[in-house]
Parts: sequence; C-alpha cells; structure tokens
Amino acid sequence: MRKRHLTLLAMLLIAIMISSMLTGCGPKEQQTAAPEANTEKAAEAQNTLTFTLASVPSIDPQLSNSIPSFNVIKGFSEGLIRNFEGQVKPGMAEKWDVSEDGTTYTFHLRDTKWSDGSPVTAKDFEYGIIRLLDPKNAASYSFAAYIIQNAAEFNSGKITDPSQVGVKAIDDKTLEIKILNPTSYFVSTLDLPCFYPVKKEFVEKNGIDFAASADKILSNGPFVIKDWKHEQEIVFEKNPEYWDKDSIKLDAVKILLVSDPNTALAMFENGEIDFCDIPTALVEKYQQEGTAKVYMSGADDWMRINFKRTEKPWLQNVNFRKALNYAIDREDYVKTATKGLFFPATRLVLPLMAGVNGYYCDEYPINIYPTKADTAKAKEYLDKAMKELNITDPKQIVVEYTISDDDATKLMAEVLQDQINTNLGISFEIKMVTYKQKLENDTKGDFDLVYNGWGPDYNDPMTYMELWETTNSQNGGKYSNPEFDKLVAAARVEKDKTKRMEMFHKAETILLEDAGFVPLQFRQRAWLSKDNLKNLARFFIGADTDYVYAYFE
Amino acid sequence: MAKYVLKRFIISLLTVWVLVTAVFILVRILPGDPFSSEKMTPEIKTNMMKYYGFDKPLPVQYGRYIMNLLKGDLGTSLKYHNMKVNDIIAQTFPYSADLGIRALLFAVIAGLCLGINAALNMGRFWDYFCIILAIIGVSVPDFILGSLLQYVFALQLKWLPVARWMGFKYTILPVFGLSLYTVALITRLMRVSMLEVINQDYITTAEAKGLSTFEVVWRHQIRNAILPIVTVMGPITAAVLTGTFVIEMIFAVPGMGKFYVQGIHDLDYSLILGMTVFYGVFLVAANFIVDIIYGLVDPRIRIMGK
Repeated sequence: MRKRHLTLLAMLLIAIMISSMLTGCGPKEQQTAAPEANTEKAAEAQNTLTFTLASVPSIDPQLSNSIPSFNVIKGFSEGLIRNFEGQVKPGMAEKWDVSEDGTTYTFHLRDTKWSDGSPVTAKDFEYGIIRLLDPKNAASYSFAAYIIQNAAEFNSGKITDPSQVGVKAIDDKTLEIKILNPTSYFVSTLDLPCFYPVKKEFVEKNGIDFAASADKILSNGPFVIKDWKHEQEIVFEKNPEYWDKDSIKLDAVKILLVSDPNTALAMFENGEIDFCDIPTALVEKYQQEGTAKVYMSGADDWMRINFKRTEKPWLQNVNFRKALNYAIDREDYVKTATKGLFFPATRLVLPLMAGVNGYYCDEYPINIYPTKADTAKAKEYLDKAMKELNITDPKQIVVEYTISDDDATKLMAEVLQDQINTNLGISFEIKMVTYKQKLENDTKGDFDLVYNGWGPDYNDPMTYMELWETTNSQNGGKYSNPEFDKLVAAARVEKDKTKRMEMFHKAETILLEDAGFVPLQFRQRAWLSKDNLKNLARFFIGADTDYVYAYFE
Repeated sequence: MAKYVLKRFIISLLTVWVLVTAVFILVRILPGDPFSSEKMTPEIKTNMMKYYGFDKPLPVQYGRYIMNLLKGDLGTSLKYHNMKVNDIIAQTFPYSADLGIRALLFAVIAGLCLGINAALNMGRFWDYFCIILAIIGVSVPDFILGSLLQYVFALQLKWLPVARWMGFKYTILPVFGLSLYTVALITRLMRVSMLEVINQDYITTAEAKGLSTFEVVWRHQIRNAILPIVTVMGPITAAVLTGTFVIEMIFAVPGMGKFYVQGIHDLDYSLILGMTVFYGVFLVAANFIVDIIYGLVDPRIRIMGK
C-alpha cells in the first residue's frame, strides 16, 4: 500500500514539474521570440554597431568605477570635452579660457538639452562634481577630482561646506573650476565620466534608483538609451538632439553582456558582433592568420619591493635589487608567459605617455636595465650584495613573491621564478593568495615582493611618478628617496613643459638606479574587428573603446 | 500532525538562522575587504565603509542585517552600486530557474528512458551505448562540454545560436550541456534499480499471471524501480539549480550564477549573503515540504517525530 502511494507521489511530482515548466516558461518564450526577430531585422537594416562587454556594474557617472561602465556612459552622455584618442575636442563646453596663472578655468557651455527636454546647464556640472566629492556618496573615483581646490578636503570630511570646493556655476552657461596647480593635462581628464553632468532634480527624485534602469537616467550625449535589459543588452539609438549629430554616423549601438571572452570570440566568428578582444591563449592563432590587431592597454605591471622588511635585509640592499633586475630576461618572459603579447618593460613610464611634443619615453630614453637578462652583471651585483650582507650561500636569500590566484598570473610568476632561481641561485618562492588578499597585503606592507600594476588616469608621466612618493598611499613598499620626492613635487607646480619632463626624467632615473621596483611589462591587448568597421578607437586611458565616431564603409 | 508540522517549521527557521549567521561571520573572516582595489585611497575607503555601515561594530551590523532580513530586505550590492540584492535575484533567478528546470526535466526523461532501455537490453548494444554515454556524461567537465557543444553545433554546423537566451533554439545547447551529467547519473541509477526489480519474485508472478510484457514492464518494473530516483531528486534538483554558473558563462545566460561567483571574488558581502540566504531558504523549504510529505505518507516518521 505504502509503495503504491509513493509511486503515485512520484508520478505526481513529475507531472507538477512538467506542468510548471510549460506554464512557467512557455508564454515568456513566445513573448521574447516574436519581437526579437523584428528588431533584429530592423537593426540590420540600419547601421548598428554590435559588441560585447563583460559586465556593466553601474551607469551612474559619478559612482561607476569600471572601464566597461565608462564605455557605456561615454555613449549616452558627454562631459565638458570629448577626448578622442587623446585629442581634446569641445563637448558640452563650446570653448574655455585659462587664467594667467593657469589655475582658473572658465568653461562656456553651448545650448544643449537633456533627453527630457530641459537645458544642460553649468549647475548640472557643478552638482555632478560636488556629488562625486560628497563623502556621503562614497564615490570610489573621487580621487580623480582631487586636483580641484579643496576637493580632497571636502571628500575626506575636513571641510563640510561644498561651496568652498573650487567649482562654481557662474550662470547657466558658465562654469568656473579652480585647480591647485597649473596642470596641462587637466582639461583632458574632464572626459572621465565622474566629471559628467547630472541633473539635480532628476537624481534627487529617483534617489537610490537613479541610473538603475533605462528610464532612470537622462542622456545628453551622442546616443540615448533605448533599452537596458540587465545582464543581457543595452541598446542605444542616435540622439537627434545631440549638438554634433552630423559627426555621428551610427544609427544605433547594441551592447551585449557576455562575460566569457571565448564566447564573445565565437560570436564574432559567427558574425554576430563587430569587434572583440582575443583571449590570450588564442592570440598566436590570430596573429599567424594576420587578423589580430594589437594595442597597448595602458596597464603597466611590476614587482613592488618591500623596503620595510627588516627581517629580510637583502630587500633593503640596492645591489641585491639590481641583481634581481638584471637577472630577469624580460624578452623571454613575455614570450613564454604571454605568447609575446605583452611588451617587455625596463622602466616605469608607459611608452605612450605624452612628453614635450611627442612621447616622453622617446624624448627621454633610459637604458639602465636590458630587455634580455644580463647574467654577468646580475651575478656581480649579487656577489656585492652578499658581501655587504655577510652571506655566503645565495640559497640563504629567501624572497617570497605574492601574486593573486589566477592562472595567467601564476604562469607569469613561474617563468620569473625559473629565471631568477637559475640566474641568481637564490630561493625565490611564489605565494598565491586571493585577489582581495593580495590587495590587502600590498596596502598593509605584508609582503617581500608583490605583483602590482597601474593603469594611467591621465596622459602625463605624473600618473606613474607620484605613486613612488614617500607619502603616497599607493606606495605600499615604502620606497623613499628625498631626491625623488623633491623632483616630483617640483614637477607638480612647474609650468614649463620641457623643465617638467626633465624633472620626470631625472626622477625616473633615480627610481631605476635605486632599483626601487622591478619593471616587468606593459600590457597589450589583441583584438579583431570587421574589415568595414572604421574609426573605432581603442585607447589606454579611461574608457578603452571609443565607438562614438565609428562607421561602416 | 500539527505538532509535527510545527516542529519541522521551527527546525527549518533555525536552520536558516544558523546559515545566515555562519555565512555572515565567514565572509567577514575572509581576508581583504570589499572596497580594496588598485586605486583605492584610505580616505575614500573610509567614506565607503561609512556609507555601507561597515564602520559600526560587527554585532550592530549583524543586528541590522537580521532586522532587514526579517523585512525581506537583503541590502544593496557593494559592487553593483544602485542594485538591491533583491532586484538582482528577482532579475536573474528566473533565467537560472528556467535553464535549471528545463535541464532537470530533460535529464529525468532522458535518464529514465536510457536507464530502462539499458536494463531491458542488458548485455546488448543499447546497454553498452547507455553505459558509455553515462561514463562520458559523468566524466566530461561542463566547461569542456559547453565549449565543445558551442563549437560543433553553433560555430561549425551553424544549426544553433552561439550564445544568449532569446528563445527556444537558444536554450537547446545550454540545457543539454547542463543536463548531461544528470542524465548520466539517472541512467545509471535507473539501470541498476531496474535490474534489481526484474529479478524479484513478484515479477515472475506477474509474468506467470499471463500479463503482457508491456504491463509487466510498465506497471510492475518501472513503478517500483523509479523509487530510488525520487529519493535522489531533491539533491539533484539542488545541484542542477545551483550549478548553472559555468554553462551560464559559456552561453551568456543572464542568470544568477555569475553574481554568486563574482560576488565571492569581489567580496561583495551583501551579494554573497543574499544569494546564500536565497538558495538556503529555497533548499530548506524544499526539505520542509519533503518532510511533511514523508510524514503524510509514513506514520512511523510522524510518531517518532513526537
């Protein structure tokens, strides 16, 4: 009897599952399937750019802090200027004046409208920047505005009156920004989405829901958000009210949310998207086929050295640090660990950083460390170090290299380990921890060597140089050289471009001669695009993809 | 009976409370903090800690979390700034559930058919076919299977779409990829169970009564052999519904798995807690219902539970 009951129950459960599936999933499928076919056809008829992003955590201009978010925000919104491949073009501001002393900027806004029909005013910019800096909003990108007078003080709660911050709407069309020091690159940074305007009434009306969905955000950029299905797709349509609409050739942009890079590549192969990045493992294949394009993504990676580890005196020994730098075969390292995709780094500043007229690195070459290993020199410096430290067996020198626990980083570290242990004969060990733990160890100074890097925030060597100042909070290894600090501080207020670059050159040379860190690589990214897709920019600061002026031939 | 139900209910509530508390403490023990990133400065981190209330002592935070939880509020994600965890679950769970239920259903039907088929043809082609399939299904990891399916059926043959979740034909590959393991599991179980039943005396009796083969197989063999499958359906359902992450990634299904895994990577406290509570309540509720049903079916459990 009982068995019979159970059998019936089993049948019943299966029946419930079948019916729940049919009722639960049936209608939804029909709903999505039918209109999809139409929009897909319609989109093809227009000229639509389709690509994928891994994840868009936020489209709130002030609160977002990831590159995919920036890519999206630059499509539907616009700041005072537009930075296309490093070239500063007027945006919401028609023109601007700089005061004699180089610290007061006056922006004159053009007549433009938000997507709700109201005008974009200087107040919206002022509100945006104050919103970014208000400690109550806890915006993680607020540091980008610290160059504005009293910004850091307001953000850290030292002053509480926002009117003391150096940003003021003089009238509806005039915005004044006061900065700490004359800074040539200041205007170019205004294209970071955190400086974009937001309308106070709209933000306050929506509260926490602001920017949470397509109807909770206003557009003032080249495109308007037509649809945003979270984790599925974002659809832009050309904004007919955009002031520069003649420069915009695309009718629509479709951003699909696909987190697996291999899937994105498969979609590109299948013709579903117009461009995509190539996962490192497959770069070689596409390079052989000759279709892969490569660009420097801005990330600059190195080993940070802990100068405060007294129990490991060799870390404070300049000769040992130099030995490390000479023992690494950077050329071989990028070939083995990254299939030759990354670019070997022998200095601090990214080769793309602006100098006086051209690139800083071309204008001020530094050749202290070679790209190939110099084993003779490495040994020589190691011997010197051992003598100074009274060590007879190199095996006694133990260094631990802290990295995060992903496969790519692990491979890189293992190649370095092999090179260093072979060329120096010391005990170089790898310590793998979670990404978050690595960050914590780095900040707290709990490491011997740690894998670390930096993506530039603006196009000037300063973005890399200031990281090594004694007081910088990023300087987790506590590298400190008064001479270096003096030069960087002087460069900060220097108006003369050439003098400034010379100071950077001197400072960078000091840092490298101190072997204050171990430069490893400048990252490059390989990508594919359809042949007829033109004017799509991949850039190394802020948003990495600028599709606004792209078009199909 | 009412007493039994009440008791089960209280135990379920306690289970959820223990789960919430344990996870709350565990995520806080994990090294690192949710706001650390390459560009974080101490001042900004202080602001963020204050904004999310992490500057308060841990017991206060815990109390507040429990109070909000009682109101059904799982808090705000730390990474997805304007997203409430409730909204993330509401938006993504339907897709995971859709994928999971389809996969489960396919797995049950296919697994039963294959298992029965194998048992009835023991030692012959179909038996070996099913066994080989089951071995493949159990041993090939889902990320390889998923990529392989995508490569063969979408990229090479172009029969099915590469990825995304836009309609029936988009569901075929992910459902197959997700369910193959379970198909294999059920096939093996059903085969063994069937073989056991076939050798029972009552089957001989049934055959001796002169019942047709169909009746013997359908009414006596399958009905009895299916019982072990019902028993494992609970854990299998849980495994399929929560194990969708890899397949969701490969086929760009906008489901919940990604948030769970990414949440742990980012140490997004509220997201990890919210997802765990959600899954936890889901499973506890399922167990509660099963307990009640057992109680209804088997008086012994009811009596012992007193």
